[in-house]
Amino acid sequence: MVVTAKAADGKELGKVERHYHPQATNCRDFKMKYGAQWKVANLRDTSLQPGQAKKETIEFELPEGVRNADVTIELFYEASNPDNKYPIHTVTRKVSLDK
Amino acid sequence: MRFLKLILVLLFIAVPLVASADKAKTIDELAKMYDSSSCKGCHEDIYTQWEKSHHARPLMGVKGGLMLSPLAAKKGTDGATAFSEDDPKKMKIKNYPCFKCHLPQAITSAEDSVAVELTEALLAKDKVKIAKLQITCIVCHNTKAIIHKRELGEPEKGVIYSTKDMGAHPGGKIKKSAIFKDSIYCGQCHGLGPNLEFDQPFQCANLYGSYLHSYVSGGGTQTCQDCHMQKGDHLIAPNWNDDKGTSELLAKAISLDVQTLGYEWLRKAKTYVPKVVVSTKITTTAGHRIPDG
Ligand code: HEC
Ligand code: HEC
Ligand code: HEC
Ligand code: HEC
Ligand code: HEC
Repeated sequence: MVVTAKAADGKELGKVERHYHPQATNCRDFKMKYGAQWKVANLRDTSLQPGQAKKETIEFELPEGVRNADVTIELFYEASNPDNKYPIHTVTRKVSLDK
Repeated sequence: MRFLKLILVLLFIAVPLVASADKAKTIDELAKMYDSSSCKGCHEDIYTQWEKSHHARPLMGVKGGLMLSPLAAKKGTDGATAFSEDDPKKMKIKNYPCFKCHLPQAITSAEDSVAVELTEALLAKDKVKIAKLQITCIVCHNTKAIIHKRELGEPEKGVIYSTKDMGAHPGGKIKKSAIFKDSIYCGQCHGLGPNLEFDQPFQCANLYGSYLHSYVSGGGTQTCQDCHMQKGDHLIAPNWNDDKGTSELLAKAISLDVQTLGYEWLRKAKTYVPKVVVSTKITTTAGHRIPDG
């Protein structure tokens, strides 16, 4: 998931990524491995679990003078390598500090 | 003495016959032994679904990545693994522990010469040859159909196992498998965690573990087949080579709820910090972790 906040002029105000997947090492060091032939056991698992919601709260502080932001939340699946993407949802929101 | 002699002669004839008739020496022989193209004529829809499935290309990787290549690489060269050897001729079936799930018939029915031929094909990137090795109708409907072997014996040759007894049938007699509607059937290959039975452990799929320990434990009652094989569907999606179809499936299965808020936070007297807060909530309808592996 990538959450991006942009000012009206398109300037990026902030970008936060969250990665949801099991992470394994070979149990001989603390380096994460990709590929069945290298992985031995999971060390951490941030994947989406059945019946459990995955919740995040992400905050962006706006620079002086900026009172509006365009927020984009992209959720996609990457299989085998980060270039092989399957888009799932893209949500865009305009957020203003003025009523 | 004559009696004894006779037995010796018989043994002499019997041993080589069993050894050579039962196991395939080449990739072509192994493919032929499990060939299911004869089912196509009568089960056309199922056959076409299966042809597009990952089960029909278990050694090809996502989008043709030939994922066994690192194992075939020469020991000592870049990317080689603990399972690699310094000479393709030394490769044996047990150098490919991946066969446990990606090609179970290689373990029961192939000579080591098949591993040598596969290694050479991987080094030559011979996709046509490697594509012949598949989890065919017979692998699923025969080889993997019985797990209680002490009580029920090995799967019988020529029999097709399925959800019910049906007797005579053109592709072979149909018998009931005790587990065909159960998740453990798929769990045989979809992994519990590290594969610790090998002399070098490794981990691939462990989705069945997640199903048992996160879904069933949370009260889930559906089986793999309930969710993935509705109306006998044999594509058993997702098919990662179909980008559009997979995106659509995932969009249905995974929901994203977003809340936003803009306000000025009062850090200390007279110090307002303008903030945007984004809250996200992701849920899935799957019966296991997403993604796996
Ligand atoms: C000559 C045609 C023909 C061929 C060839 C054939 N089948 Fe069938 N098969 C049928 C028919 C007809 C049925 C019964 C359909 C029904 O009543 O639901 C059937 C039923 C089945 C069933 C049971 C379905 C159920 O409802 O549980 C399975 C499993 C099956 N076939 C697998 C295979 C496999 C695997 C092959 C190839 C090795 C094969 N068949 C070859 C015609 C054929
Ligand atoms: C316990 C069974 C099992 C073993 C052993 C196993 N795999 Fe897998 N593998 C699977 C299953 C099932 C999938 C697909 C589902 C998944 O990823 O959850 C898969 C997927 C893969 C994928 C991703 C390709 C795709 O189309 O999804 C690669 C690459 C892979 N395996 C490589 C290997 C290698 C290399 C080995 C041997 C070192 C190996 N696997 C051993 C069961 C296994
Ligand atoms: C990955 C394992 C797997 C493979 C490969 C596979 N099957 Fe099946 N098949 C199953 C399972 C499991 C069921 C029972 C599903 C259920 O619960 O209804 C089934 C059910 C069937 C049925 C009954 C369908 C129905 O509507 O009830 C037929 C017919 C069949 N398979 C034929 C085939 C043929 C033909 C092929 C090869 C093209 C094939 N299968 C490949 C696992 C497999
Ligand atoms: C003989 C072992 C075996 C059995 C039995 C089996 N699978 Fe698979 N399955 C695999 C392998 C291996 C792959 C990955 C092939 C590849 O590398 O593309 C796979 C791929 C898949 C995929 C595609 C997703 C992916 O990430 O590759 C799904 C979905 C799937 N299987 C579901 C099932 C279901 C449901 C059953 C039970 C009806 C089942 N499988 C039975 C071995 C098996
Ligand atoms: C409650 C329904 C449900 C059950 C039960 C279920 N699945 Fe799934 N599974 C899904 C959904 C939904 C997805 C997401 C993709 C899709 O919609 O096909 C998925 C995805 C998968 C994938 C791709 C995983 C990845 O790496 O992203 C595999 C492989 C798979 N399932 C196999 C199985 C097997 C094997 C079982 C039984 C042990 C099983 N599923 C049980 C609903 C289910």
